[in-house]
Amino acid sequence: MRQALLSLPLLFIVIFMVVPLGVTIMVSFWERAGLRFKPAFTLKSYETIVEGARLDVLIRSIAAAVEATTLSLLIAYPIAYVLARKASPAVARLILLLFTVPFLINYVVRNVAWTSLLGRTGTINSFLIQAGIVDQPLDWLLYSNFSVFLGLISTYMPFMIFPLFLSLAAIDRQYLEASADLGASAVATFLRITLPLSLPGIFAAVVFGFVGCLGESAVPIIMGGVGYELLGNTITSSMDVLNYPLAAALSTVVIVMMLLLMVSWYLVFDLKTFLGKILEWRS
Amino acid sequence: MSSGYLNRRDAMRLAAMAMVSGSAMLPGIARAAGGTINFADIGVGDPNGDWSKYTAASGYNVNLVSIGNAPSAILNVLVSSGGQGTYDIINIVGGMQKPLVENDLVEKIDTSKIPNWAKDGFIDEFLGKGKPGFQFIGFNDEIYGVPTVLQGDSFAYLPEKTGKLDSYAALFDPQWKGYVALEDNYTTAAQKTALYLKKAGLAQIGNPDDMTKEEFKTVIDFLIDQKKKGQFRVIWNSFEQAVNLIVNKEVYVIDCWEPMVFVAKSKGVDAVYADPKEGYLLWAMAAYLVKNPNRSAEQTTAAYQLLDFMLGGWYGATLTNLRGYMTNPQAVEYAAANPSEFPADQAKRVAEITDNVKRKFQAGGTWQNRWPTEVEFYEAEWSRFKAA
Repeated sequence: MRQALLSLPLLFIVIFMVVPLGVTIMVSFWERAGLRFKPAFTLKSYETIVEGARLDVLIRSIAAAVEATTLSLLIAYPIAYVLARKASPAVARLILLLFTVPFLINYVVRNVAWTSLLGRTGTINSFLIQAGIVDQPLDWLLYSNFSVFLGLISTYMPFMIFPLFLSLAAIDRQYLEASADLGASAVATFLRITLPLSLPGIFAAVVFGFVGCLGESAVPIIMGGVGYELLGNTITSSMDVLNYPLAAALSTVVIVMMLLLMVSWYLVFDLKTFLGKILEWRS
Repeated sequence: MSSGYLNRRDAMRLAAMAMVSGSAMLPGIARAAGGTINFADIGVGDPNGDWSKYTAASGYNVNLVSIGNAPSAILNVLVSSGGQGTYDIINIVGGMQKPLVENDLVEKIDTSKIPNWAKDGFIDEFLGKGKPGFQFIGFNDEIYGVPTVLQGDSFAYLPEKTGKLDSYAALFDPQWKGYVALEDNYTTAAQKTALYLKKAGLAQIGNPDDMTKEEFKTVIDFLIDQKKKGQFRVIWNSFEQAVNLIVNKEVYVIDCWEPMVFVAKSKGVDAVYADPKEGYLLWAMAAYLVKNPNRSAEQTTAAYQLLDFMLGGWYGATLTNLRGYMTNPQAVEYAAANPSEFPADQAKRVAEITDNVKRKFQAGGTWQNRWPTEVEFYEAEWSRFKAA
């Protein structure tokens, strides 16, 4: 009975995660037959990715995802650090709760709201002009690289704070005290104790941020202006002409990258210990 | 407003998906309703839910389900989601006959079962056999679509910023650099660009309706060049986004649909829908009779009655009023003759819109091609433009 109950989560993951991902990978090797597609083993879709503009999109998507994830990490880590190590538990809980508020609003709606703020006649430009800070509206606030990164970071950074906070909060204070007792400076303690011990959280945060940014399609549409095409957009676009094998091949690239990240995380860090520490912190 | 629009569309789409998937799984239950015509529509053909006149005449109800207008969305609904066994009629922007007929998804239309067909002079004048517009309803000399709505698209501008504009050249005029928006759609934006390049003698394009790979590549190269010069501010993706671009004066010149200008005007913005000397991007909605294996002969008769109703005066006048598109010649007469249903201002609006769109069709231009011969090449090249 207990085993049957325990197998339910596994069954759920197999049915709703493994099987769809497997089908996607399989279809990426199939060939098209009119509007439909049929089983085969062809690399045609992958050749299309490498030969056409999709490769540029792929490279740009990876670059954008790396940059957005790095920036998000640079913002999220100090926040998580302060919450975990400096703030009182009550304040930390309150602020973490506030970071869940964005999850209550659809992120598409949130990004549409940005356009009202950042447009040429939007709130920010109107204020800057009225205050005499600028003569002309700042065009780069919207429909630019800046706005795309703003959209990506504001969408995915909150997801990154939580694993970072958990990993930082789970670090045993005795290690830090021992480091200080042995004469290490605060910076040295951070670099040699805190940072290494928070790596599982950093890696988890990077996975959350990178995978989200890599597959993102709404943010570039809403904030990107002149066709800031990312991988998610080109997948949608290929489905417009019912080229499912190509869409599946592009998706497979994302899946493989995600799997590589997950496997590295699993191999490099002791997941059980990490989760154990979280449980320890909670108790 | 933004969120409301998105949520409503999303909800309708989800409802459509749920309905299609549900009925695909339980065909017996789905068809048990009997006196109902399942009608898939892109949101344009809905007379605000009022099908009472049709119901009174036929005894059938209409179950309208909103679907997306992208070719993939339509074909997905019919091919992948089991919609062929669910829907009786799909009312979409026409020109989709090739994939629909070749995949045996729709039936030939027997126009003798549609009395209003013969009364619709617009069909003969603009969409009849031998006319360029036939590609919106016909295939291999047979008729597959009933044209419910007709329109000619161009672009909009803000005269206070640009003065009067009468050419697609405005979209590429360096004067408006950074203040131009295009639609994210290769069958509209790219085709209008092709029309401009052809008429201006800037490119050798035989037929903007159905370009060869080389011709389409020329168009995309031109657009990429413009993009790199900073000509375009944004490529828009939704009705609401385009309206906001006009209303907020984010751009001065925008490749868009005329109803967006109506909305902008209603918000107090002096926007003008251009009459370009090169002509218009002409298109028509087509109601297709789905080849539904579950439909009975009685239901087919009712479906034909609905198609006939959609070519009638009341439906036409109602849609023209609601959406700003031309429908059928009877619409004007009906609105004028029934002041209890259409007050004088509405009847006037129906007449004005009809005259305006008729004038566009008489001026000509290029017929939008929803499924060009080289559609996959179009899509790949459009990706190249967006990625450039």
